[in-house]
Amino acid sequence: MPPREVDLSAVRPYADRLDDGLVQMSFTLPVPYSLAARRAALELAGRMGFEEPEVVHYEELTPGYTYFVMYGRCAATVDFGAMQGEGFDIEYLTEEEIERFAAEHIGRKIVVVGASTGSDTHSVGIDAMLNLKGYHGHHGLEGYRAFTTYNLGSQVPNSMLVAKAIEVKADVILVSQTVTQQNLHVQNLTELVEILEAEGRRREIILACGGPRVTNELAKELGYDAGFSKGTYPHHLATFIVRELAARVPVGG
Amino acid sequence: MLLSELTASSRRLALVGLAKNTGKTVALTTLIAELAASGRRVGVTSVGRDGEERDAIDSRIEKPLVRLAAGTIVATTDELLRASAIASELLERTGVRTPLGEVVIARLRGGGTIEVAGPSVAAEVGEVGEAMLAHGAEQVLIDGAVDRRAAASPAVSDGLVMATGAVLSDDIEEVVALTRDAVALLRLPTVSAQAPAGIRMRELAGSPGDERRSVLFDIDGGEPVELPPRFVLSAPPGEVSSLLAANPSATTLLVAGALPEAFLRDLALSTRRSGRELTVVVADPTHVFLSERAPSHYLRQGVRIETLDAIDLLALTVNPVAPQSHALDSARLRGLLEGAIPSLEIFDLMDPGYRDSQRGPGPVRAPADG
Repeated sequence: MPPREVDLSAVRPYADRLDDGLVQMSFTLPVPYSLAARRAALELAGRMGFEEPEVVHYEELTPGYTYFVMYGRCAATVDFGAMQGEGFDIEYLTEEEIERFAAEHIGRKIVVVGASTGSDTHSVGIDAMLNLKGYHGHHGLEGYRAFTTYNLGSQVPNSMLVAKAIEVKADVILVSQTVTQQNLHVQNLTELVEILEAEGRRREIILACGGPRVTNELAKELGYDAGFSKGTYPHHLATFIVRELAARVPVGG
Repeated sequence: MLLSELTASSRRLALVGLAKNTGKTVALTTLIAELAASGRRVGVTSVGRDGEERDAIDSRIEKPLVRLAAGTIVATTDELLRASAIASELLERTGVRTPLGEVVIARLRGGGTIEVAGPSVAAEVGEVGEAMLAHGAEQVLIDGAVDRRAAASPAVSDGLVMATGAVLSDDIEEVVALTRDAVALLRLPTVSAQAPAGIRMRELAGSPGDERRSVLFDIDGGEPVELPPRFVLSAPPGEVSSLLAANPSATTLLVAGALPEAFLRDLALSTRRSGRELTVVVADPTHVFLSERAPSHYLRQGVRIETLDAIDLLALTVNPVAPQSHALDSARLRGLLEGAIPSLEIFDLMDPGYRDSQRGPGPVRAPADG
């Protein structure tokens, strides 16, 4: 434990003692393994703004490339106080807790429709979240008693996805999309929102998107209720869904 | 004429872009600066996020800061309001939940830069807009997000400023063509409110979502035919032509919800083959989803799209710069757009020509005040 109270208005990294600013980093330079390479790494770390940079390990990665592990002292701080509360700072429930919470607060099956929309051929994200097999030993929503899931697969047109969601009275639509700097991918995500709006269903459906670069900030901009990125497990998604539904629907409502 | 003067009569003004980085936020900050200079009390909300430092997808792109004057009414999340450190008076908690927190409505006691993130759902945007007017805003500015059009719906806003720009293509002709088609979509003809189709469409638009069925009917009498649920969204191609063949005297299709391009394509294929003409009526232009063809293409094949309610498109703003990519010549782009789009005011708000015409302070540029 840190020996003294953390000043949340000026947070910086620490290693040995609070506020020492120590950062461990690793990178590769496209230069031959040599003393000159080591000097280059030290100078580079200095230019990155690190004080007292130190090379603790370096080795030849492959001829012409050198890999470094370095320490440096970071003088910069951030105001964590200003950032707290942004987004869903969720304490995730376990699978059992989710089942219990859903039984208590929702009291019926929660219907989730998922797809990789538009031209996206990747269904890995959706499969990991929805299918029984799940991901890294956490099984997907299909395996929960609380959920009924429909995984429509990949390259699903938005209008078809919305039609299915209306047909099965979905509580949640989950889409996965690899967002790149091309407008196309983003526009596919906004089109889904706009079709739901035109159908008069946007308000009644929880809309979540996932993908390698999807943050809550991006989700907000696109008109979604939540965004899930790398590192999301099915129980993270499930926690969000049951809490959000419970917040929207009064008990017995 | 200034953009703020041109749009002054719109109580709830929506700003919608054809894509990201077309300059919506510059239009917003320009309007805010002009309205502040003329002493008008504005309400500001955003369907997405405004005033963030960097683009949510491409962090190399710096976004314009949003600077609001004391007295401005703003709808944003409680966290963002707090993070702005501007003294404010809380007017209302809206209960609207977003990924960035609950939306509150507040009156600013001081001026400063702030990130604005209001409701994203159209109905909630409409309600928050009304609430800000009720709290004393003389005009409400609703900034859109990405290419989202829902804020332009007549149910949400009274007038629209559309933003286009070089980000659509590095080919100037292509930018002009895409913009012209988007404007044509916003300016679809309206169905007569007194005509049977208009009356029926008004009933349809007002009915609850669950009960809305698209209807095919014959203007000269004849019993209207209700389409199966979700037919327009998901009908397989063959069924669209069967439907038309089974109803040979039908002249009008009232679409209860969204009109996707796939359906329109099938419809046009049938009408062209059979030499028929069909009018398709939707609630408003935000219900029509075209990404491949312009409305005129479908008209040539016998499908005329009409709307129950019109969108009041007041101006077009142009951003000749595509961030991290290319720039087009502003004057040439505006000239070509003027040639392609009749009777619409076109502005490049960052152009010295526009700024010189201003009597008030210049628009807030990115980054504001350095």
